[in-house]
Amino acid sequence: MGLLVLLALWQALALAGGGYLLAGPLGVASWLAAHGGLILRALSVTLANAAWGFLLGNLAAILLAAIALVWPRLLNLVGGLALVVFCLPLVATGPILRVLMGPGEGPQVVLAALAVYYTTLIPLLAGLRAAPQVWFDLIRSYGRGRWSELAHVRARAALPYLLAGLQISAPAAVLGAMVGEFTGAERGLGVLTIRFTRDLDVPALWGVAGIAAAASIVPYAALGWLGARIADDKPPVILSPPRIVRGSPFRKAAGTALLVGAVLVLWWGGMEVLGLNRFFAKRPDDLAEALLWAPDAARTRQVLWAATVQTLIWALPGYLAGLAAGAGLAILLSLLPWLGSLMTPLAVALRSIPIVTTAPLVVVLTGRGAAGTMTLVALMVFFPTFVACQHGLRQAPGPILDLFRSHAAGRLARLLHLRIPAMLPALFASARMAVPAAILAVTVVEWLATGRGLGSLMALSASLSDYDMLWLTVAVVTVMAALFHAAVSAAERRVLAAFAPEQTHA
Amino acid sequence: MAPDDHPPAAIVCAGLVKRFDNGMTAVDGIDLTLAGGRTTALLGPSGCGKSTLLRMIAGLEEPSIGGITIAGQPPAALCRQGSLSVAFQDPCLLPWLTLRQNIALGRKLARLPADPATVDRLIDLVGLGGFQQMRPAALSGGMRQRAAIARALATRPRVLLLDEPFGALDALTRRQLAQDLPPLWRHAGATTVLVTHSVDEAVMLADRIVVLSPRPARVLADIPVPLDWPRRPDLSEAPAFRRLVQTALAALVRGGERSQAVAAQ
Ligand SMILES: Nc1ncnc2c1ncn2[C@@H]1O[C@H](COP(=O)(O)OP(=O)(O)O)[C@@H](O)[C@H]1O
Ligand SMILES: [Mg+2]
Repeated sequence: MGLLVLLALWQALALAGGGYLLAGPLGVASWLAAHGGLILRALSVTLANAAWGFLLGNLAAILLAAIALVWPRLLNLVGGLALVVFCLPLVATGPILRVLMGPGEGPQVVLAALAVYYTTLIPLLAGLRAAPQVWFDLIRSYGRGRWSELAHVRARAALPYLLAGLQISAPAAVLGAMVGEFTGAERGLGVLTIRFTRDLDVPALWGVAGIAAAASIVPYAALGWLGARIADDKPPVILSPPRIVRGSPFRKAAGTALLVGAVLVLWWGGMEVLGLNRFFAKRPDDLAEALLWAPDAARTRQVLWAATVQTLIWALPGYLAGLAAGAGLAILLSLLPWLGSLMTPLAVALRSIPIVTTAPLVVVLTGRGAAGTMTLVALMVFFPTFVACQHGLRQAPGPILDLFRSHAAGRLARLLHLRIPAMLPALFASARMAVPAAILAVTVVEWLATGRGLGSLMALSASLSDYDMLWLTVAVVTVMAALFHAAVSAAERRVLAAFAPEQTHA
Repeated sequence: MAPDDHPPAAIVCAGLVKRFDNGMTAVDGIDLTLAGGRTTALLGPSGCGKSTLLRMIAGLEEPSIGGITIAGQPPAALCRQGSLSVAFQDPCLLPWLTLRQNIALGRKLARLPADPATVDRLIDLVGLGGFQQMRPAALSGGMRQRAAIARALATRPRVLLLDEPFGALDALTRRQLAQDLPPLWRHAGATTVLVTHSVDEAVMLADRIVVLSPRPARVLADIPVPLDWPRRPDLSEAPAFRRLVQTALAALVRGGERSQAVAAQ
């Protein structure tokens, strides 16, 4: 019903706009009908890559979770490494993978896997620890050990978390595959998108975007349906990662140092073990040289710094706007329940669309400047935040709500004292998870369209085979994302300690 | 239920002290020998360390000083044999299992063959017949607690540890279960330790009452309960019953006053 209204609205807008930027549904449908074969071939390539990535990424997530379960001491390291890998800019990882792996679908599959594993790993780690201590006491009182804990409690308690993770990773896999296709593949929906962007073929762009959206929504909905069949208990939306490092400042510093060391060793060791050529497979010391004591090091630093500033100037406002809009709309709708029940399914559907894959469209619609970039970043952050905040607002415990009602507290009082504090954990969780997403969005737009910032620098160095610079941009973006992530986490911990102390023990 | 093949298991606590990592001492020097096949009530004010003592007997908590043997073995050995059951203060049912599956889980964890007849009989006995297929979320607090008791009994344990098993029950159900349950564990020869803060319950259900001081728990009084079995509900009106209640209550009150005096110094 809502969908029909939306379609009609879209068609009306398209007619009013003269059909230049906004192709109406009829135009798009007729274009799709005319180019069915082309679309189908591209779709099958993208879906196959996404499916492989989905499989491999989720297997990796389950494996990592198993490692952290068997050796709990490794939890911090596993979580930290996973985060660092998650912060890798997919856009620049694509070209690097392409020189490492050669032509073919390999890079797209790896990118799809990279896009999914973290959003499965984090809920899974939380789920495996989601059981109250008494359940383990029960198992132990029958003289049974860790395997029984796993079989009777942990595995089942983690199941809804795993299912939620798998569901989110379906659209993420399509996103990863398409980002790979944006950056130099030969076949697939992403390649078509690039071509139509160049030709400014608006109905074709809408058509591909629609197909990509459907390719994400359908598996998302299917997995949701399947999940509800398998386990009817829903996990909390707050996918708070287990504490990365706990304890004294000294232990935190030691943990961070260990993590940095592990990243460097794995990076360097992996390259050496695989025997990869130093010309395109840069080691940490190559980057240090390029940045610090090569003859043109000063210039390299200047270029990098300028690009970083340009990226931040556009990404940061977009990110904040997305958060504010998501939380704001959720609060507004909680005051207007009838509108909320209309909007929520729509938002959930839109949330499952990999926004980044519509980047070319957004750029064509809003221009190659600040507006387009910020819009895309904001959209990328908005949907998950909105959905999470809506859930959070509903988390206010019933008995306390009743208490407020019994004192005839008005809607506003309940909102201020109860619902918004209950929403904060969700807001911060999505703010944290949105950091890499926002960086992905901004680098994609810069790569494809705006010609400035780190994304554009990545594109330029990839086309010039300037691998020092390409690896440097990857390193800078990763470090930046990790630092932002850490900053948001720190803020989150403060807020949670004040508003939701029960969550800080998780 | 047929008596077990094993002889009744005596529980010996020697010089038990439990001090937690945060420096809090919950149990401070307890020596007790609990005869096999008998029911002992641990009676004490809330927070005195009763659950901690019970958890040490269950092998879930290591004593800081002292030791426990059950039938001459460490508690963990009995746990491994599946001959020890605990009904925790929190009913501790797994939310994804039905009531029946939760009760059968006890036997599964103890590696005993499934015994549907016993499980069904226990379910009826604790008054949950007809709710077998319900999930815990759909049951009331008292129903969940009864399910936890049934789960603990389903393995026919040699040692049965009950932590405030009737805490969430209404007076009527309490009375009913106080009638129905003791014959079960007595007939099976189980050595039962029952934690409670209700004096009447202790007298009604136990052969012996150990009165504990406010935290840290020490033994204040050790009161035999020489009332005949089976005990009928109207026993609680009998003079002998009231005298025992008075004795236990007096011990509790003295302990409370003494600890207040210590605190005031
Ligand atoms: N794991 C623990 N760490 C620190 N203190 C504890 C722990 N468990 C219980 N305590 C403390 O020990 C005391 C006794 O607790 P408990 O045995 O549960 O009392 P009871 O069951 O008699 O009400 C309480 O003050 C409680 O706060
Ligand atoms: Mg207790």
